[in-house]
Amino acid sequence: MTKVYTGRDGVMQLAGVTLAKVSSFSLQSDLETLETTTLGENIRSYSPGILGYSGSASLLYYKDGNNAINTANLLNKLIKTGTDGVSSSDTVELTFRWVDGTDNNDIKLTAYITSATMGASTGEIVSVSISFVGTGALTTATIS
Amino acid sequence: MPYPTALAPTSRSFSAGDYPVKTFKSQSGAETRILYGSRRTNLKLSLTYENITDANAELFINHYDETQGTFASFDVASVSTNDGAKTGWQGNSTAIGATSSGNVYRYESAPELTQVRPGVSTVTVNLIGVL
Repeated sequence: MTKVYTGRDGVMQLAGVTLAKVSSFSLQSDLETLETTTLGENIRSYSPGILGYSGSASLLYYKDGNNAINTANLLNKLIKTGTDGVSSSDTVELTFRWVDGTDNNDIKLTAYITSATMGASTGEIVSVSISFVGTGALTTATIS
Repeated sequence: MPYPTALAPTSRSFSAGDYPVKTFKSQSGAETRILYGSRRTNLKLSLTYENITDANAELFINHYDETQGTFASFDVASVSTNDGAKTGWQGNSTAIGATSSGNVYRYESAPELTQVRPGVSTVTVNLIGVL
């Protein structure tokens, strides 16, 4: 059956657990290209370089019935006390899923949270925006 | 093993050198110059080969070893050859070669190799023309 995916089909998971109140997410893959054009040539040529992943997500700042904040395990990678900063263990396992019935199209990666923004405005719902950058290879890529 | 002339550089810079001149300046500011030779020398040729394979990058190291570093001279970008070092140069073929001015090139310093990614490197070669 044909299907056009919409925002209703999008799911974002942290460590295999679906995050509540995700309003948007995006994932980008970038290939660094190494130029191999030499003197005397008029057309540019390239060799593939390093491949990387990055993205962002926006979530409503939400407390569920068990008093658990949905963004806690994302924000605590950057917003924390102490003088140690971020260590190599401060990675998150993110899964981005596009659901079609029982068929899941997943992209899963290990990432560092590189920015986190939250605030409050009169008359508006509080939301949290995060950016991340992938480290290492994708764990899962079942998007076809 | 000759200089790897099959490869074309991605960038090239050339300094034409100078004739052996000694300059004397008096206290009044007057300048006297004495020409000690009839041939221009100290040419500088810098060649960069970006994003080449490691196997090709190794050719420069092998050649540097063959010339015993900066000791031996060799032929590159000379009048008679049509090698890759001159690729893209559409001026007179004698202009950036060393032999037209009676010079030969040798390594001015060791080739610099930068690993870009697995299997891909960038090499910079600095040559100097000497009599």
